[in-house]
Amino acid sequence: MENVENKLAVRNLTISFRTTNGRVQAVRGINFDLAKGETLAIVGESGSGKSVTSKAILGILAGNAMIEAGEIIYDGKDLMKLSEEEFHRIRGDKIAMIFQDPMSSLNPIVRIGRQLTEAMILKGKARQRESRECFNEYLKNLKLHMISAIAGDSTKEGYSKETADAITQKCQDFDKFEYKHLDLEAAYRTAYEAATEAVDDIKELVFEMEKNAVKDAIYRIREIAKMAKMSVQEYVVKEDGEKLQALAAQLGKDAQRVKKADGNYDDVIGRLNEVREILEKAIALPEPNFFCMGYYVAFSGKELPVMSDVNQLNVFLHQYLDDNFMLDFIADAKKGMMHAAEVSYEKKKEAIAALKEQLPVFEKEELNAEACRASEKILIEKINATINKLEIIKDNVTYTFPGRLKGEIDRYFSSIIKNKEEQKRYEKAKAKYDGLVSRGRTPEWKVVEAKIVDLEEVRADICRQIERMIKHFEDSLAQRDNRDYDKETVAAIDYLKENASAVVNKVTKQVAKAKAIKLMEEVGIAEPRKRFRQYPFEFSGGMRQRIVIAIALAANPDILICDEPTTALDVTIQAQILELINKLKEERHLSVIFITHDLGVVANMADRIAVMYAGKVVEYGTVEDVFYHAAHPYTWALLSSMPDLDTNEKLEAIPGTPPNMIYPPVGDAFAPRNKYALKIDFEKQPPMFQITDTHYAATWLLHPDAPKVEMPKVIMDRIARMQQKREEEEDAE
Amino acid sequence: MQNNHMDSEVLLKVEHLCQYFPMGGSELKAVDDVNFEIKKGEVFGLVGESGCGKTTTGRSIIKLYDITSGNVYFKGIRIAAGKRSYLDAISKAKESYKEKIAAAASDEEKQRLKKELAGIIEDNKKKIKEAEYDQKNCDKEYSDELVKKLQEKYPPMIEKAQGGEKQKLSAEYKAELYKAKRTKLVTQIQMIFQDPIASLDPRMTIRDIIAEGLVIQGEKNKQVIDQKVFEMLELVGLVREHAGRYPHEFSGGQRQRIGVARSVIMNPDLIIADEPVSALDVSIQAQVINLLNDLRKSLGLTILFIAHDLSVVKYFSDRIGVMYFGKMVELASSEELFLNPLHPYTKSLLSAIPLPDPIYEKKRKRISYNPLVEHDYSVDKPSFREVKPGHFVQCNESEYEKYLSILK
Repeated sequence: MENVENKLAVRNLTISFRTTNGRVQAVRGINFDLAKGETLAIVGESGSGKSVTSKAILGILAGNAMIEAGEIIYDGKDLMKLSEEEFHRIRGDKIAMIFQDPMSSLNPIVRIGRQLTEAMILKGKARQRESRECFNEYLKNLKLHMISAIAGDSTKEGYSKETADAITQKCQDFDKFEYKHLDLEAAYRTAYEAATEAVDDIKELVFEMEKNAVKDAIYRIREIAKMAKMSVQEYVVKEDGEKLQALAAQLGKDAQRVKKADGNYDDVIGRLNEVREILEKAIALPEPNFFCMGYYVAFSGKELPVMSDVNQLNVFLHQYLDDNFMLDFIADAKKGMMHAAEVSYEKKKEAIAALKEQLPVFEKEELNAEACRASEKILIEKINATINKLEIIKDNVTYTFPGRLKGEIDRYFSSIIKNKEEQKRYEKAKAKYDGLVSRGRTPEWKVVEAKIVDLEEVRADICRQIERMIKHFEDSLAQRDNRDYDKETVAAIDYLKENASAVVNKVTKQVAKAKAIKLMEEVGIAEPRKRFRQYPFEFSGGMRQRIVIAIALAANPDILICDEPTTALDVTIQAQILELINKLKEERHLSVIFITHDLGVVANMADRIAVMYAGKVVEYGTVEDVFYHAAHPYTWALLSSMPDLDTNEKLEAIPGTPPNMIYPPVGDAFAPRNKYALKIDFEKQPPMFQITDTHYAATWLLHPDAPKVEMPKVIMDRIARMQQKREEEEDAE
Repeated sequence: MQNNHMDSEVLLKVEHLCQYFPMGGSELKAVDDVNFEIKKGEVFGLVGESGCGKTTTGRSIIKLYDITSGNVYFKGIRIAAGKRSYLDAISKAKESYKEKIAAAASDEEKQRLKKELAGIIEDNKKKIKEAEYDQKNCDKEYSDELVKKLQEKYPPMIEKAQGGEKQKLSAEYKAELYKAKRTKLVTQIQMIFQDPIASLDPRMTIRDIIAEGLVIQGEKNKQVIDQKVFEMLELVGLVREHAGRYPHEFSGGQRQRIGVARSVIMNPDLIIADEPVSALDVSIQAQVINLLNDLRKSLGLTILFIAHDLSVVKYFSDRIGVMYFGKMVELASSEELFLNPLHPYTKSLLSAIPLPDPIYEKKRKRISYNPLVEHDYSVDKPSFREVKPGHFVQCNESEYEKYLSILK
C-alpha cells in the first residue's frame, strides 16, 4: 500500500459520551486508513458507532462527547487537535458529508436555491482568499530557494545580487501573466459552457417537441436564445457570430408565438437545429492555450497573430513562451526544488542525530519532567526544520510528530498525578466496602476498579514514536537518489496554476445559480429551474436527499462522508445516487467513506469494508474478502438476515439488541447474540486476527485452538448461486 | 347500497381509483386510474419509486382521503366512491349533444336528442348521489346491520333467561349495542406506518397506544382491554411488563412491533403496511418480516404491503403491482414478475436491485427508463391489459402484440 497516497488515517480512536446515566463508550479504539480514490464502507447496526466515527472526522461531535484517545490524520494535521477556526477550512470544503435524514439537514423556511448557493458563495470568497495566500506563500518559498540555489547565500561570498534580482523579476512576471491568462480563459469558459449547455438543452427540447410532450417551452426557448448569444466569443463562435445572434433574436420572437399557438413547433425545431449545428461545430474546436497566450499578451507588446487554425496558434504561442521564459524558469525552479530538498535532507540528518541523542532521555525507568520538556523542545524544533515547504504531497508522519510527541509526554506526566488520585479513591472506597462487609452487611454498590494508566506503556509509546521517526527519516534519505525533480517541478508549477485559477474564479450569485441548477440536473431533479425556487417541504424524500447530495458536492470536496445516504430512498433512486457517487469519485478522485447497514449497497460501492459492532471494528478487509470469505459471526449474521431475490426460507434474524454501552461487556460484545459463541468470548475480548494480508477479523473462532466452524449454509448457498448466475450471464454474452 | 356480485375470495377491489390534489391552478394526479384486487389471505405488494402514489393509494383505500374518482369495494361493500368520472360524463355528454342538436334537421329530432341528454344527465346525477351516499354512510349501514343482528339475537335470550342471568344478559346486550353502534367497517382495515418513532405518541404508555382503537370502539371494561393488550404483546414477541413503558424506552424493532400490535388488536381483515421495514436495520428488518409472516399464517391476515425494497417485497408478497407516476404499469404474481418482466419500467426497477455479491454488482448494468423514449402513445392510447392469466401490463395494441410474442 506504500505507493498509494493515504488521505486519511484513523488511529486508536476512542470516543465516549457523558450522559446522565453514565459514560457511554461509543467508539472503542478503531483503526483504519483511507487511500486516495478509494471507498471505505463502514457497516453495522444503529448504535455501533459508525456515525460517531464519521462525525469525529468532521469535527461535529455533540457537546457531551469526550475524545479519550487516538488521532485522525488528514493533510499533515491531526484533526482531533485542530482549533475550530482551522476546522472551518476543512469542513465542507475538503471533507464534506451527506447526512442520513435529509429533512433535518435542510432549513425548512429557506428556499432550496438559497440553501444550495449560500455555501458556494461563502466558500467561494474564502477559497479565493485562501488560494491567494497559498499562491503567494508557495511562490515566495520557491523564489527564496531559487535565489539561494542560483545566486548563492546572501551572507556569504559569491552572492550575486543581480542574479537574485533577475529571479525575483521572473517570479513577478510569472505572477503577472498567470493572472492575465486566467482573465482570458475565464471569458472563454463562460462562452464555451454556455455553448455546451445550449446544445444539451436543444437536444432535449427538440426531442420533447417531436414527442409533443414539452413543458415550459417559452421559458426554455428564451433560455437557449440567451445562452446562444452568450456563446459568441473570439475562440468559440466567431465567424458565425452574426448569424447566431440573428437566430437567437428570432428564437426570442418564436417564444412569443409558441405561447399563442400550441402544438406546431416545426419552424422552431428547424431554427433550434440550425443553432445547434453552429454550436456543435464551435464546441468541437480545440481550446487555445491561454497560459501561453497570457504571456504573449502581457509581455510581447504585439497583437496576437491572426491564425485561423487554433492548433497552429497554440504551437506558435507555446514556442514563444518556451523560448522566452518557461524553459528558463523551469530550469531555475528545478534548481530551487533540488536546493530545498537538499536542505531538507541535511536537516533530516541533523534530526536523526538529535533523535538518537535524545532517545536515552525517554528510555530511563522514570522520566524526569525537566529533561523531557527540554528534549521535547529540541526535537520539535529539529523536526519542524526538516519540513520541505515545496513538497506538494505532505509528509504526514513528520507533520504530526510534534503534536503527537507533546501529547504523549503530557499524558505521561498527567497520568502520574491521576494514577495517585485514582488509587486513593479506590482504596477509600474499598475500605468503606470492606468495613460494611465486616459488619455483616451487603452493600448495594460495588467498588469500581481503579483505572491505572500503565506509565511504562506510555513511555514505551514515546520511544516507539521516536524510533519510528528515525526510521522514517532514514527511509527518506535512502530514497534520496531516486527522486524525479523534473516531475516535481512540473507538479509545483501546476499547483501554482491551480491556485491562481481558484483566485480568479469568482463565485457571483449568477454563477452560483447556474452551477446549482447544473448540480440539480446532475443529481436527477426534473425541472430544476422551477424547483430552485421551492421550499424543502415541497420535495419528496428522495428529492430532498438529492438536494442534500448536491449541497455536499457543491464545494468540490476531497473526502466525502456518506452517512446512510440512500436508506430513505427507493431502489431506482438509490441506484442512481450510488452511480452518481461512483461517477463523481472516479472523476474527482474522491475518497469516500460510506456508512450503511445495507450490505447489498456496499457490494456495489466499496473497495474495502469495516464491519463495526459495539464501537469496535470486528472485521476489516477488501470487499471480496468480506463477502466471499467472511470470518466473523456478526458478519455472517448480517449477511444471512437480509433476503435476496431467491430467498424462500425463514429469515435468520439476529436475536436481541446491541449491548448497552454504558456497561460494555467484558468479553466479546457480540457474544450474547452469537450462536457460535465460545466460553472465552464471555471472558476476554478477542484480538484482531490476521487472515490474509488485507483481511482481519476479531473473533476467537480464528484462534488455532478454537473449534472449526464453517460459514452458515445460507451464505455459502448464496455465494454458489450468485456464481452460477454470473457464469450464466457470461455465457449469455 | 350497491352490492356487487364478486368472487367471495376477493377481499378488496379497487376500481379506476383516481386521487387528484389541487396544486396551484392545476391538479396533481397522484393516483390515476388504478385497478387491482386483493384476495383473502394473500399479500399484495405495491412497489414503485417515491412519489409514485403507493402511499396515497394505501391512504385512499383506508379513507384518509376522499377519492376523486373510482370505487373501492371492501368485502363486497363499496366503502369509497368518487364522483369525478360522472361529472366528466355529464359535461362530455352536454358538449357532444350540443353539436348534435345544432346539426339536427328537424324539431322532432332536436326534441329527441334533448330528451336523451336529459336522461344521461339524470342517470349520472343518480350515480353521484349513490356515490355520495355510500362514501358517507357505508359505516353507518354496516353498524346498523350489526345492531339489527344483536336486536334479533338478544331480546329472545333475555326473555328466556331467569333471575340474575337476565340482568347480566341485558347488561351485556347494552354494552354490545353501544359497541355495535360505534363500529365502523373501515376499522377492519388497519395500517402500519413507516416510521416507528413518529407514529407512536411519546406521551402515551404502550398499553394506551395499543388499546386506543378498542377504547374508541367503545370497549369500557378495563380487564378485557388489559387482557387483550397482553395477548397482543405476547403475540408480537414482547412481554407484559412492557405495557407500562413509554415508546422511547424501546429499540426501533420493538417499536415497530408495537405498531403491529396496535393494528392487529382491532382484529382486522386487511392490513395496509406502508413501508413497515424501510426505517429499520437489516437485522431488525428480518425480525419484523418474520413476525408479519407468522401473524399472517396464524391469523389469516391479508396484507397490502407497500415498499420499495424489491428483495423484501419479492420475499414477502404473493402478487406484486408496479406503479409509475400514479399509474399501475404491471401486475403479476411475484414469481412471474421477476421471471418475465414486460413493462420497460419494471425492467429498469429490477435492474436496480443491489445484490450481495461484489463481482456481480460491479458489472451490473442499470436500465434507465424514459417514458418518452420507450413508448409512442401519440396515436394509440395505452390501457391495462392481461397478457397472460394473472399478468397485467399497461400497454397499447402494438406493445400488446410484442409482449404476447415475448411470452410465447
